[in-house]
Amino acid sequence: MEPFLASLIWLFPYFGAILMAILYISGVRKEWPYAITTTTSLFVAAVIATVVGIHVLKTGKPILDVHHWIPWINVNVSTYIDGLSAIMTMLVSWLSFLIGVYSVEYMKGDWGYPRYFFFFAFFVGSMLLVVSAENLLLLFIGWEGTGLASYALIGHWYTDEEEYWVGVPGRKALGLPMYFEPSHSGLRAIMFTRFGDIGMLIGMAVLYHLTGTLSIRGIASAAGGWSGALAAKGMLTLVLFLLTLGAFAKSAQFPFHEWLVTAMTGPTPVSALIHAATMVKAGIYFVLRFAPIIFTGALLSGSHLAILQAREYFLIVAGIGAVTAFILATMALVSNEFKLILAFSTASQIGYMFLAAGAAGAIIEEANRYLFASGIAASLAHLMSHAIFKAALFLISGWALHVAHSRFIDKMGDYAKYMKVTAISMWLAGLSLAGIPPLSGFFSKELTLKAAEDAGLTWVYILGAVTALLTAAYTTRLIIRVFHMPPYEPPEHKPHEAPPLMLVPYTILALAALTFGLAWNYMGRVLSRASELTLALSSPASLAVHLTSHVAMVLGGALTTIGIVIALYLVWHVNFRELIKKSVAARITFNFLFDRWYINSIIYLLFVVGFIGVSYMLWAVDFGIDWFYHIGLVVFAGVASLATRALHRGRPEYYNAMYLALTALGLLLFVLEWLR
Amino acid sequence: MELSFPLWWISIWLPVIVGLGAWFGKVESEKAVKAVAILSALTLAIPGFALIVLYANGSVSQGVLDPWYLHLGKRGIVALAVDGLSAPIVAGVSIITSIVAVYSIKYMRTRIEEMRKEGEKVPGMGAYYFLYNTFSAAMLGLALSTNLVEFYVFLELTLIPSYLLIAYWGYGDRKKISMLYFVWTHIGAVLFLTGVLYYGIKTGTFDYMLVPQLKPLGNIEGILGSAAKIVAFLMMLGLMIKMAVFGVHMWLPYAHAEAPTPVSALLSPNLIGLAGYAMARILVPAFPDILVDWRNYLVFWAFLTIVYGGLVALRQRDFKRFLAYSSVSQMGYLLLGISSMTAFGIAGAMLHYLVHAIGKAILFMTAGLFITELHGLRDIRKMGGMAKLYPLTAAAALFGFMNLVGMPPSPGLWSEWLIILGTTKVYSSSYGQLLLISVAFLLALSVSAAYSFVTMRRIFYGQPRSKIEKREVKSSLLISILLVVVVGLIVFFAAGPVIGDLKAATYRLMSLGG
Repeated sequence: MEPFLASLIWLFPYFGAILMAILYISGVRKEWPYAITTTTSLFVAAVIATVVGIHVLKTGKPILDVHHWIPWINVNVSTYIDGLSAIMTMLVSWLSFLIGVYSVEYMKGDWGYPRYFFFFAFFVGSMLLVVSAENLLLLFIGWEGTGLASYALIGHWYTDEEEYWVGVPGRKALGLPMYFEPSHSGLRAIMFTRFGDIGMLIGMAVLYHLTGTLSIRGIASAAGGWSGALAAKGMLTLVLFLLTLGAFAKSAQFPFHEWLVTAMTGPTPVSALIHAATMVKAGIYFVLRFAPIIFTGALLSGSHLAILQAREYFLIVAGIGAVTAFILATMALVSNEFKLILAFSTASQIGYMFLAAGAAGAIIEEANRYLFASGIAASLAHLMSHAIFKAALFLISGWALHVAHSRFIDKMGDYAKYMKVTAISMWLAGLSLAGIPPLSGFFSKELTLKAAEDAGLTWVYILGAVTALLTAAYTTRLIIRVFHMPPYEPPEHKPHEAPPLMLVPYTILALAALTFGLAWNYMGRVLSRASELTLALSSPASLAVHLTSHVAMVLGGALTTIGIVIALYLVWHVNFRELIKKSVAARITFNFLFDRWYINSIIYLLFVVGFIGVSYMLWAVDFGIDWFYHIGLVVFAGVASLATRALHRGRPEYYNAMYLALTALGLLLFVLEWLR
Repeated sequence: MELSFPLWWISIWLPVIVGLGAWFGKVESEKAVKAVAILSALTLAIPGFALIVLYANGSVSQGVLDPWYLHLGKRGIVALAVDGLSAPIVAGVSIITSIVAVYSIKYMRTRIEEMRKEGEKVPGMGAYYFLYNTFSAAMLGLALSTNLVEFYVFLELTLIPSYLLIAYWGYGDRKKISMLYFVWTHIGAVLFLTGVLYYGIKTGTFDYMLVPQLKPLGNIEGILGSAAKIVAFLMMLGLMIKMAVFGVHMWLPYAHAEAPTPVSALLSPNLIGLAGYAMARILVPAFPDILVDWRNYLVFWAFLTIVYGGLVALRQRDFKRFLAYSSVSQMGYLLLGISSMTAFGIAGAMLHYLVHAIGKAILFMTAGLFITELHGLRDIRKMGGMAKLYPLTAAAALFGFMNLVGMPPSPGLWSEWLIILGTTKVYSSSYGQLLLISVAFLLALSVSAAYSFVTMRRIFYGQPRSKIEKREVKSSLLISILLVVVVGLIVFFAAGPVIGDLKAATYRLMSLGG
């Protein structure tokens, strides 16, 4: 196979973006050229990705395409498709295509239509570059490209009308606003992720100094050397943490999750594609890419220190994942915005992926490659199944918001009566999220929990298991409220079924969640094969789910939770709004969860308010410096000049007196010096 | 390589001659001004185009010498040359001055009309182009010099026209501010000169580059003996004032905010950055051990400048004053790269000169576009929502900010990466060092991103905070801004040879310096 095909996967969406930029500058304002350019370029990319991906999985030979760019610092345009990249490119490109088609209908009549599709295609190109780049700096270029597109698309409606906000207008926590305009959200997204990216750059620089290369394969093959060298100085954990700081930020892990929550100001297809299915997965992709390198490297280095520090790092990853999964799930329980619930859920579910990857690495002392590969594959499996069902959920939310003319679920209700197909899709995707068999989400979630169990990380496992129950609860609450209960506040318009261009994409995705679950054996074989072909992993993995007592417990808990939530709403008709009004304890809990554990306010108080304070202080300092040079010194010089001028008044007796005095002084000094 | 004809001298003299013609010809009519502007742009662009050819045939790395050089006996050899180190500088000066020459047509015409309406007697377009071209040519001369006498002459030659440009067509209290600018930078220049004289007398030559080998003179710490530290300090301090690092930056916000905007677009990125170039070109090879001794302090000062400039910029209400403080902050990155005393860092600083020239030129030109089209609007508090009225301008400004932040596809990524590589090379040998430098970078780069994107939001997003009737039109102002964007994209993609030749040049600088 021609290696250049691999590069074409990410080049095609970029070509589309460039073409659209040219169209815009030359004054084309019609919608269809942009729609056609985007969907065509994404479709071509998806087809090429599939051809290349299947080729790699079949032949077992990864594809590498290298072109030199900046030789001194070893930056090459090199594309590498191994097992992991094959799965990722196929997933990303097809999801992008489906969501692109949905967007064509969704964005109709929008004033920013060309800009939307330009950044859409630019995003897809960048994302595909991230998951197929072999050179770290090339990966970083794609990485920043996704960040830029995300920034632009979150702030797509940058004129900031209230209908595009996220949060309840006027609500404050700890004195700080809890509602966000699109332009504010875009700013938050780029600041939070940029912070992580700086760490990533420093980590990359340290690795470059140790290995002299930016090639991921090169870094992998030298892993024994650098991990040993860093561990000897006690720096391995720090360097790895810096390297993946960007991944934590991009994937919205605690405490970076705040940007993802408010990213919901973007158009819904963007939330589906960038903030659920793909870009937020870039972080976990990066961890999955490097975990095997770290694991193998620490083992190869033969240094016990390296193994200890690598384990420490993996424990941090697993811990952050578990904490994020739990915290965000509790927030989803009480939220009253459709997309916000899904956003909380996204960060929470990505927490599972980090949990699995970290737990897999934590077994490094046993040096069990098969178990490690299984944990990594579990993380990848959950990434896949989550991308599919969450994209479906978001696309459905897009339609729900559209018919309700509101982002609040209080204004939605009884949708099942008006849109049967959408309701069925919603249940399929929702139950997959809740982890109910035979949907794909059940298998992948159990596998991530199994990774924690295998690693013996009890607390991580418990947090994961509790989160599974919370997930079932908020998912069911959402579906019941929107589809099966009358709305709290009657809407102005009668809902109706979605048009085909929107309906078909999410139905396909919901059915995919079901199909992948039904065909889990086959999926497991594909993922195991991919794991065998992944750089530095090279081991088959087990993706079979057995009905152990633990699995039964979690599943039983989830089913019970679903039952209880349904009963609360539909049988006992509990009115939670009244409950919160009456009970103080309920209100405090509600506010704590609704205001996102006050994490946003704390971050703002520490950083934003803090820095504004410092900048005011420095402004004053600057004023002082200005005063010193331009007033202080000038006044001093003026006064000094006045004083000296006072001595020179043109009167002879003055000069005579001065002459005598100075001569006397001079003589005195001379005599003193001579006497010494 | 020695050129077969005196290309560098020609490219310095031609714009001056065009300017003289315009001045004596008292150019005023629209057609004549256009012709002068285009002639200026073309002549100023000569070195830029020449560099493209030279990069393409790979001759930049050994250095390209002009055949006309003059022996001044003990004072050395006056010559003009380009090598990998100065190529980004020459390219930056040449391209930006060329594009801004076109930009000036509409801007200065509006400015002069406005001033005359207010009853002020100011010189016309002819005089403007004479001063503008002389200023630009002198900056080219600075970057092409090989000798300190020559360097100092060009330094003064940049100062006088730019002083007059501010004094004639500036804003606000322009007489006072131009004087302030003159005095401050002159103090810097004189401190530098004091060091230079000692350097020249002790070493017996004022050359810092040997002609025709085009190699640095090398370490002179031994020759200067105990005075070496003082000489290095004087020259460093002089250049730091010119560069406006924290503490001696106070002249810059005034001068750059109140200069006529096309001049700001040259002053801010091009002129002050030349001080950074001089540090790398002259001080690094001459005083390598002293600079290594001072490294920790200089790196600290660089970070301080970045964070300070950035945070004070956040408090500005005036668009141009904001950009001026951002320039202070960006000079911190230049100083950081140089003071790391590594090949990566110095290469990064030189590339950042070009990057900053591109980014800041775009932003100043954006500010100027609003001033021209919206009746002098420069108060950020009165902007907001401009992206909807000026979509292409907004896109260009975003690209400008991306240069400052170091985001691809702007070439800022490369300079940022090189500077990080250089700094971490020195500061990653222990846990504490790495932690400290990481925190410093997290802080510095976050501040840069913060003031960039916060200002982007304040100016371009949200609802308009004042009544603005106008819409974007395809004017010469907009087209010249977009041209700079295209240049930025080209530099991003074609960075290979530029960075490769920077490698050769910095290695020569470092290895000869010990």
